[in-house]
Amino acid sequence: MTDKKTGQPIPRNPTLGEKLRHLLISQEGVLFVIMLVSVLFLATRTDKFLTVDNLLQQGRFMTEVGLIAIPMTYIIITGGIDLSVGSILGLTAIVLGWTWQELGFPLELAIVTGILSGTLAGFVNGLFIVRVGVPPLIMTLATLALYRGLAEGISEARSARGYPEWFFQLGQGEFLGIPTQLWLLIIAVIVFGIVLARTRLGRALYAIGNNELGARFSGLTVNRHLLFIYTFSGFMAGVAGYIFVSRVSTTRSDMGTGIELDVIAAVVLGGTSIFGGTGSIPGTIIGVVLIQLLKNGLTLSGVTSDATIVVIGSVLIFAILVNNFIQSRREES
Amino acid sequence: MSRPPQRRPLDFIGIALALVIIGAYFTLPFVVQPERGPSTVAVLTESKKANELGVFKTGLEVIPLAGLGILLLGIWNVIAPAAGRAIALLTSVAGLLVVVYYINFFRNTPISPPSEWGEGTILGSLDLAFWVMLVAGALAILQILIPRSVPDERYRIRKLFGNQESVILFGLLLLIFFIGIANPRFLQERNISDNLQGNAYIAVAALGMTMVIVTGNIDISVGSLVGLLAVISGRLVVSGLPAPLAWLAPLIVGAGFGAFIGFLVAYLRIPSIVVTLGMLSIIKGILIIWAGGERVRDMPPEYFLSQMRPLGIPMPIIIMVVLTIVVVLWMRYSATGRAFYALGGNAEAARLSGLSQRRLLMTVFILNGVFIGIASVMYSTQFNIIQATPPPALELSVITASVVGGVSILGGTGTAIGSTMATLLLNFIRSAMIFINVSPFWLKAVQGLLILATVLADLIRRRRQRL
Repeated sequence: MTDKKTGQPIPRNPTLGEKLRHLLISQEGVLFVIMLVSVLFLATRTDKFLTVDNLLQQGRFMTEVGLIAIPMTYIIITGGIDLSVGSILGLTAIVLGWTWQELGFPLELAIVTGILSGTLAGFVNGLFIVRVGVPPLIMTLATLALYRGLAEGISEARSARGYPEWFFQLGQGEFLGIPTQLWLLIIAVIVFGIVLARTRLGRALYAIGNNELGARFSGLTVNRHLLFIYTFSGFMAGVAGYIFVSRVSTTRSDMGTGIELDVIAAVVLGGTSIFGGTGSIPGTIIGVVLIQLLKNGLTLSGVTSDATIVVIGSVLIFAILVNNFIQSRREES
Repeated sequence: MSRPPQRRPLDFIGIALALVIIGAYFTLPFVVQPERGPSTVAVLTESKKANELGVFKTGLEVIPLAGLGILLLGIWNVIAPAAGRAIALLTSVAGLLVVVYYINFFRNTPISPPSEWGEGTILGSLDLAFWVMLVAGALAILQILIPRSVPDERYRIRKLFGNQESVILFGLLLLIFFIGIANPRFLQERNISDNLQGNAYIAVAALGMTMVIVTGNIDISVGSLVGLLAVISGRLVVSGLPAPLAWLAPLIVGAGFGAFIGFLVAYLRIPSIVVTLGMLSIIKGILIIWAGGERVRDMPPEYFLSQMRPLGIPMPIIIMVVLTIVVVLWMRYSATGRAFYALGGNAEAARLSGLSQRRLLMTVFILNGVFIGIASVMYSTQFNIIQATPPPALELSVITASVVGGVSILGGTGTAIGSTMATLLLNFIRSAMIFINVSPFWLKAVQGLLILATVLADLIRRRRQRL
């Protein structure tokens, strides 16, 4: 069927079969299949795994990583990286506990101060990356040490505990039968997933990641976008810090150590290219869920938790391999 | 294009200063107290106690003045290329040490006890101040080897901050001067020696990392691999393998892991940061399962390579210095070394000029594996017990050392001398803060701030160069 005026073929709507096939061989599709296979496999190994209670409990544990993974996806799509998120999480937790216990702030104000300090930390990252031109990897490597150091210095190795009952609602409570913080993650995923896929801001991030100079010349305010996503990253790490404290009921300066690697692993597993330009929030969330389910399922089926990290590392490499293979086949066809 | 090395008056000033220092050291004791042997410091300390010395009475001031001259000479030459730069760096550090030691002496604060280095040899009776003077003198003479391709003196001054190595050098000089004056114990041999020995393995791992980063890649699995190889080596020797073979095994296994990572990066085209992120967990998991948290102990005494002292000099320091020199020269002058820079600078251009990217990537990761192997032997033979967990956050120390040392994370630039100097600087900063009573809780924050400052200094320098 061709257009009568131009002679060009009229684009027709793809059939359901084509749509399905396209979805299946997309990055998220491949990953989703891997996840389904591993869930089914794990379910046959132990009957404690595929229960509503257990899965909801796992949702509780993965919220912090999930929340941080959202801005991390944005950042990696632009070709950057943020290694300081774990330290920002720790700093937020410490500021929260310290302003409340030592400075006598009301707890509500302490929470806001904590999250604000996390946001500020992210803003400082962004400012140096944009204004001074420090490569993101180096800037956030330096602040990884700096923010953790600030957390240690402020707390002087003391932990803050004894929070009132309402404070634990977010980290330990339930709302409509689902862990409270999981609601937060779900809302964040939907909102920021749409922002990335359907808004001008989201498209700009892909443009920056594909060709930063080209994006600049097309009149995009690249600097403002970058400054925003690093600040956003600090903010989300701050929120995750608050949830963390609320979940474990205490504040310590080593909170969140190494979480940056979990987050990056999930984002990369979710199909975001470390070189920038591609990636999506659904992919990232599948990555987060897959890692958490693997950890939990293997532990429940009697594998020691140390062996699970071997599996997760292998899955990370293997998934990227499979994806590379399928994507190159797709480009050929 | 390149001019033949010119001999300039400065060279001869250097030699003169060196002779002054060495000469003063040997003759002054006889002038002051003719009946004593050739240990200046011992004589001076007693004379000082007896109030026999005063400033400008004995002519001793020539020593710090000569040290100052050597310091300036080293700084002057620091823009020389490669090996010459390294010599110049060390020269200025040694020159400053002479000055600070003598300032401390005149302030009636102790200099140093007799040296442990060189114990059992003829040099054993000499103290650290002497060693420093000897080294400063020798280095001043070595200045003559530095090729002079930059004739204009004004250009020289403008270029003084022209490389990251000199930024680190000035950091080191400021540190030695201020902390050395504030708390002379910082410059005592024990502290310097402990710092060098304890961190030499980080510097060696950073050499491998430097090569990897120069090609535009990264390895974040260093920490896990060092931990695993250390336990392998320890278990082998406990099970009865001769010590030299137990030292060799981590190198081979390390090369194997390197080859595997290189294969995934070069042939299957997975980005190195992803591969090594995965390997980080895989290796750590293998280590924890296999070792079961059980520390390795009861190694035979001949196993402890890091505790050996040939000629009284601690082995880790020898290994670090020798490997740094080898890597600097190899990366600068060998075809493969140059190809690493080419690959990191512009992969497409490197491919078009006929370099095999795959082979280069394999080479660099295997080499990195070998260096990690060496580092792990240095780590595992340090103490009488080998921990069954990876050294915490080692990958961050190693990457930070490379980056602070001037290796661009984008690939294509950076030298091994920079990464070794940066390892030392970062750890001396840590130690210095303890000596000036910074609260231990704030150590990390100050360190982070300083890393940031170094990186910024590097960046500002690069920007000014571009203009």
